[in-house]
Amino acid sequence: MFELPSGAEIQSIISILKSGLGFFIPEIYLSILFMGLIILDLALKGRNKSGILGWATLIGLGGSFYFIAQQHAMQAGEHFFGMYVLDEYAIFFKYFFVASGMFAVVATLADRKFDAEVKSIGEYYALVVAMVIGMVMMAAASDLLMIFLAMELVSLSAYILSGYFKRDARSSEAALKYLVYGAVSSGLMLYGFSLIYGMTAETNILKISMELADHGYDPLVMILATLLIMAGFGYKIGAFPFHFWSPDVYEGAPTPITAYLSVASKAAGFALLLRFFYIAVPHGVSPYEDILGIDWLTLLVIMSVASMIYGNVVAIWQKNVKRLLAYSSIAHAGYLLLGVIVMDEIGTQAVLFYLLSYFLMNYAAFYVVVLISNRTGSETLDDYRGLGSKMPLAGAALTVFLISLVGLPPTVGFIGKLMIFSALLSKGALYIWLALIGVLTSVISLYYYMLIPLNMFLRESLEPNEKSLNPGFLAQLMMAVLMILTIWFGLFFEPLSEFARYSSAMFGLSLY
Amino acid sequence: MDQTLSEFGNVFVFFLLGVVFVAGGYLTARMLRPSRPNPVKTSTYECGEEAVGSAWVKFNIRFYVVALIFIIFDVEVVFLFPWATVFRQLGSFALVEALVFAGILILGLVYAWVKGDLDWVRPTPSVPKMPEMPASKSTSQRD
Repeated sequence: MFELPSGAEIQSIISILKSGLGFFIPEIYLSILFMGLIILDLALKGRNKSGILGWATLIGLGGSFYFIAQQHAMQAGEHFFGMYVLDEYAIFFKYFFVASGMFAVVATLADRKFDAEVKSIGEYYALVVAMVIGMVMMAAASDLLMIFLAMELVSLSAYILSGYFKRDARSSEAALKYLVYGAVSSGLMLYGFSLIYGMTAETNILKISMELADHGYDPLVMILATLLIMAGFGYKIGAFPFHFWSPDVYEGAPTPITAYLSVASKAAGFALLLRFFYIAVPHGVSPYEDILGIDWLTLLVIMSVASMIYGNVVAIWQKNVKRLLAYSSIAHAGYLLLGVIVMDEIGTQAVLFYLLSYFLMNYAAFYVVVLISNRTGSETLDDYRGLGSKMPLAGAALTVFLISLVGLPPTVGFIGKLMIFSALLSKGALYIWLALIGVLTSVISLYYYMLIPLNMFLRESLEPNEKSLNPGFLAQLMMAVLMILTIWFGLFFEPLSEFARYSSAMFGLSLY
Repeated sequence: MDQTLSEFGNVFVFFLLGVVFVAGGYLTARMLRPSRPNPVKTSTYECGEEAVGSAWVKFNIRFYVVALIFIIFDVEVVFLFPWATVFRQLGSFALVEALVFAGILILGLVYAWVKGDLDWVRPTPSVPKMPEMPASKSTSQRD
């Protein structure tokens, strides 16, 4: 029979909840912002509604930096019965996701297609904020249930956002495909979670790791469980072979959302992947040596190599810039996985730094794509012909961002790749091959990235028209700043890499 | 370890019994019943109505919206029941929590209401008009 808990038990539960709330302020703030935006949407009337809502979101998200910054002073630890963790690693991603939400809003405000396609901007900005909340929780979740809940919050918001151009068939197709793939992969992931729970009878990842270390496990079940869980994480990071949704979704979704998904959603996947696999699941030479001789690390290696090769090779044939960047983002997931494979603090630092650089260059590239499609109404490579003379700054900026995406000096992308590869090389012979594959596939990527500047600067426009296309002063300024930042952090990367190193401290890692 | 295994064993036995139960039902029916099919018997049972057309028609999206709004409050009740059973011991903190919870859901209802999702407007049939004369003004073109 069900027994009512005693008064003392209830009091202790409530006191744990109350003490947890103090470490949960940024999330609470963001939730209030979310609801505030909905109320604002209901209250506002008139033509300039989209602009007001967008700026309100920007300011609101910016305000959360204040609360996040205060968390540095708090001690790392678990809260809410081990559901939720506060550590430097989580704080890093809080900054990251709030900033990426802000960037998505900036890109949305710049995108003219929204004025034409969307009758009421309505809940759009609120959903962007909801996605930020979900991703923040993904980075800090330390319990299987919380992980699932956070991932679903991100996914559900993302499905709606990617289909926001209701009358655009491609946008609706994107949302539907995203939904179907998402449902399948979260189902698989849940099955993996249930296997882990079956083995350990725990849902907290720290306790899972202790349980597995103490009592051992069946390696066959373990590899099956990790494979299933990786289906869920791999879908979020868009790595081969769980990438099938990404080209169609990236092409069909509104461009700001494409950028948002490709940077923030991917980073959230990596935040979770790193924490989960570093802490929960044992790897390598354990007392319970695998009968198959493979563990989840091997699976990650296969995923990483396949992503790098597949993403970079298939991108060669793409005619649509958004689709091209989608395949490139699959390849970047591969590079990031290389950093995960290293399995130490240097690797984590490299991944975090790479995410920062990817944030800068990928968002910036998509921003320029938005500005160009505002003027030309198109995203195909052929329509980029001759744009270099009409939009000189946009052309120059996009070239810089693409060089950074290739990973050539003196850009921030180069430092990112350098850190990943040097982390690999410090681990020994087998890892050199992985680094070599990484370098070789980067060379392939040089070809397709450079197709864009080639079309912009060296090929004549199909319909000659000497009218210059000015994207506006604010957009020019934004592009210039992003361009300078991309090069600046390529030369003076110390603050970023220090920040990444400082943030690689995960709660519970020392216990394992 | 044995404890957990037996729990899984329970589930497995339950699963097997389910399969046996369904299969056994079908098998018994097959052995006992006379088999004299005729067109009326084999037609789809639709509460006495004759089935017309395909089942794959589009449903009005409003059904889903209303169902979703219903689910929200259904779930709210599920969460409030356990809260209510221990309400006396919980104190003011839990009262505030529950109010916040309900408040969020009410905001959702207000949102759906203001956006017009609760209005069950009957679609007004639009009578096709005579085609107008081709307009000389060009429709506004996007640049």
